[in-house]
Amino acid sequence: MSDANRMKCRLPTNAICTLSGMVLTALLLTGCRRSVEYPNRPITLTCPWAAGGGTDRVSRQMAMYLEQELGVPVNVINATGGQGVTGHSRGLLAAPDGYTLAMMTLELNTMHWRGLTNLDWQDCEPLMSLNEDPAALFVRSESPIRSMKDLEETVHERPGELTASGTASLAAWHLALAGWLLSIDRPPGDIAWIPSQGSAPSLQELMSGGIDIVCCSVPEARSLLDSRSIRCIGIMSDERITQEGLEHLETFREQGTDWILKGWRGLGVPKGTPPEVQERLVTSLRRIVTGETIVNDQSFPAYMDGEGFDRTWRETDDFAAFMQETDQVLGDLLTRDEFKEVKSGPVGPLAFPLLASGLAAVCLTVSGIGRLRAPSDSLAMNTTSSHTTGQQPAVSRVAFVAVPAFTAAYALLANTVGFIIVAAGILFGFAMLLKSRLRTAVVLAVCGSAGIYQVFTGLLRVTLPIGWFGW
Amino acid sequence: MSEALQTALQNTFAPGTLLVILLSASFGLFIGAIPGLTATMAVALMVPFTFFLDPVAGIAAIVTMEACCIFAGDIPTALMRIPGTPSSAAYVDDAYALTQRSQHQTALGVSLLFSVTGGLIGALVLIVAAPQLARIAFEFSSYEYFWLCLLGLSCAAVVSRGSVSKGMLSLAVGLLISCIGIGSTHGVPRLTLGFEQLESGIGFIPAMIGLFGFSEVLRNVLNPVAQSTSVSHTPKEPAASWLGTAIREVFGTAFVQLRRSFGRVMTSSAIGSLIGMLPGAGADIAAWVSYAVSKRRSTEEQQAEYGQGSVQGIADATTANNSSLAGAWIPALILGIPGDSVTAIVIGVLLMKNLTPGPDILQDPERLPVVYSIYLTFVLANLLLIPLGFLAVRLGGQIVRIPRHVILPMILMFCIVGTFAIKSSYFDVYCMLAMGILGFLLERFQVPLGPVVLGIILGGRLEETFVQSLTKSDSLFAFFERPIAALLGITCLIVWLWPVIASFLPRGRDV
Repeated sequence: MSDANRMKCRLPTNAICTLSGMVLTALLLTGCRRSVEYPNRPITLTCPWAAGGGTDRVSRQMAMYLEQELGVPVNVINATGGQGVTGHSRGLLAAPDGYTLAMMTLELNTMHWRGLTNLDWQDCEPLMSLNEDPAALFVRSESPIRSMKDLEETVHERPGELTASGTASLAAWHLALAGWLLSIDRPPGDIAWIPSQGSAPSLQELMSGGIDIVCCSVPEARSLLDSRSIRCIGIMSDERITQEGLEHLETFREQGTDWILKGWRGLGVPKGTPPEVQERLVTSLRRIVTGETIVNDQSFPAYMDGEGFDRTWRETDDFAAFMQETDQVLGDLLTRDEFKEVKSGPVGPLAFPLLASGLAAVCLTVSGIGRLRAPSDSLAMNTTSSHTTGQQPAVSRVAFVAVPAFTAAYALLANTVGFIIVAAGILFGFAMLLKSRLRTAVVLAVCGSAGIYQVFTGLLRVTLPIGWFGW
Repeated sequence: MSEALQTALQNTFAPGTLLVILLSASFGLFIGAIPGLTATMAVALMVPFTFFLDPVAGIAAIVTMEACCIFAGDIPTALMRIPGTPSSAAYVDDAYALTQRSQHQTALGVSLLFSVTGGLIGALVLIVAAPQLARIAFEFSSYEYFWLCLLGLSCAAVVSRGSVSKGMLSLAVGLLISCIGIGSTHGVPRLTLGFEQLESGIGFIPAMIGLFGFSEVLRNVLNPVAQSTSVSHTPKEPAASWLGTAIREVFGTAFVQLRRSFGRVMTSSAIGSLIGMLPGAGADIAAWVSYAVSKRRSTEEQQAEYGQGSVQGIADATTANNSSLAGAWIPALILGIPGDSVTAIVIGVLLMKNLTPGPDILQDPERLPVVYSIYLTFVLANLLLIPLGFLAVRLGGQIVRIPRHVILPMILMFCIVGTFAIKSSYFDVYCMLAMGILGFLLERFQVPLGPVVLGIILGGRLEETFVQSLTKSDSLFAFFERPIAALLGITCLIVWLWPVIASFLPRGRDV
């Protein structure tokens, strides 16, 4: 580099050095300024379902109200996957220090029966349940089925012909429909269940004529219901919905079938969380669900009513009893013999992976033949370039191995050591391996880690791990 | 002028709303430029703020943020070879090749101009034809979706850089990876090897960041790329002509391209709007299909450029992915069925403000002003993208001048934190690492990476629609019974058999 360029580089570097010194001091001070009382740092709320869905909306609202009550940021994480396993595990197997709250749903009562996990309701300390939305059956407005009676008749006359959807196989709404069929002494296969990724694609399928019935909760079908594109023939509840515009929906019980299934949502913490922490949380939650906490001129009950969510709430012991009961009912359902045969569809679970592997094998052979004829271009190119540029290959190789090592180091150490220290370490180490000057590497390490930390925690509400020294 | 339109104009151009739009645009540009952060995440973060705001400002914020975010995703695509959004993966090789020739301003300028064009045309389609088009969404059931997924995947495999068999191999790898976890189709764990953490599968964001970003870091470490120097850096020019030079640098090629290929712009926008309008099919499929169509329409010599820095390819694909955004609002507003994950959140916001979407939304005098405001915001956001995007491009252009030993560690950290930020999961970081090594190996053997990502995203959907369709009708002929399904199915066959078909057509066929 020419002298002029070096000069230009030095000036901004001095400024950055001063800046990084200030940042370092600020960080040290932030680390020290911490009270001992709970809560004194951001709380994570895990949500097992995707952004935009009902549970996510309830979680984000709740997070807002909890922030108001507890005075610390409450960040929602959509820990999706495994049909609820990921989110529930993340929430309930976290450290029981009160800084992870778990939004739990009905799936906590079904996952262990299906053998997806060992986690069940007894692995949590129940704080407060927030709502219980009954399952409902929807048909197109022009469908000849206008009531549960019509549906029962159709099922008797033509078993196996009707198709229904609403969620994945063996998930909540599937169980709701199958459970109803079993309760009227019909096999679950009388209405063929078409698995889907959720209520939205199922409703679309309903509208396009692909299926006859959708089973899901009322809030999920609200728009189409309000616009009268679909009709609700029954809700699986003991009482009618009280929210405006929905009072006319008839329950199963009114129509002669005594079958109830409600998807529930509630908050819990990992087992072993200190009682004082639980007490604090329950008190705050009580204020929120009764409408005492106001954010933006609106209370939580008002929000739930506005969106059409049920807002039955139960505290700790009541919640635990409710979960136990639901667990029993669903367990009875899932362990019945008639249910076991529901699982198999026209194509087994391993068909698709086998097909993909087959395709991969075929392509590998075809392209492999092509490759044997002409030597691999990229390999040849790599060897020549490393000779012509004259770089020390030894350093490149070390750096090459270091990159995955650094990444693994982050995954292993960040939680205990803290984000800033690990990030600074990685930035410094990698820069030095790439033959950087010591000063540049230090400046990069300090400013980079501090900058990333502020952006992600402050602006994007992501919880980054805090380890030693409170960083 | 109708009353509703007047109200809408007043609301949209109110100073408060304009300020919100400006802030959301900046936010969107920022989110899009950081790999790993998606528009969906950004919208979810914005929802609490929409409670403060009146409905118009709140929705305007989301619309603007989305439009800017998907453009900004092209910045890391071009500069660092990390696709900011899955749809950018269609032209990541082209954009990065241009950067390596110090033409990143051109690449991003093309991306910006055509993003804006695509966005405006998409908005026009939304405004003019929403109710009619919404009805098409009702024609799409599992058969149609199956063929659409297959079409998108086939396009990606067939037009990727390199031989078709390698493209198909890459696709197969992606499909196989998508099988890991508990699928919605059967509800049983597959390929998890007993690890409970694998039950959620490998997410497409860690995969994308790993395959492209992480493997690029590895590649760069092994074979340092020559530091690109800015060609026309004359710091002593007066302000006005500096601006002129800058504009020429960024937009020069783009304007020429736009004048030359207006027909293609129309085609790409049509593809984008139509695909975007289908619930669940979005920008990624649109970008790949458009890229494939673009390549097939070009002459032989132009086709060779695809994957090596084809401006035409970037232009067509980015037009499609921006016009698909407006398309996603068609089913959301008219039917209340979300077109993509962002509109799923938007429907929630609309419901909360008592603005229920539905077929009668355009007849209701209370909701109509909001609909008009949404239209106006789409146009406004895309126009605003020109100056703001220009600034972002110039700023981004500085990134290529940062020395290697500073930028590579930062890219690595962004890869790690971007992946971690999705679910605060360390397991995701390991996934990213594994996919990075896979990406490096695949590139060594010249297997394209784009189809892997698309395979991961669409694999589950493909299997699901296949099983759904079979469950409903038990016969393979049903896949061709419905008219649209038959059309899409035949298009798929044409894509697969194109080399055979082309050999029967007369030689020297022009564009």
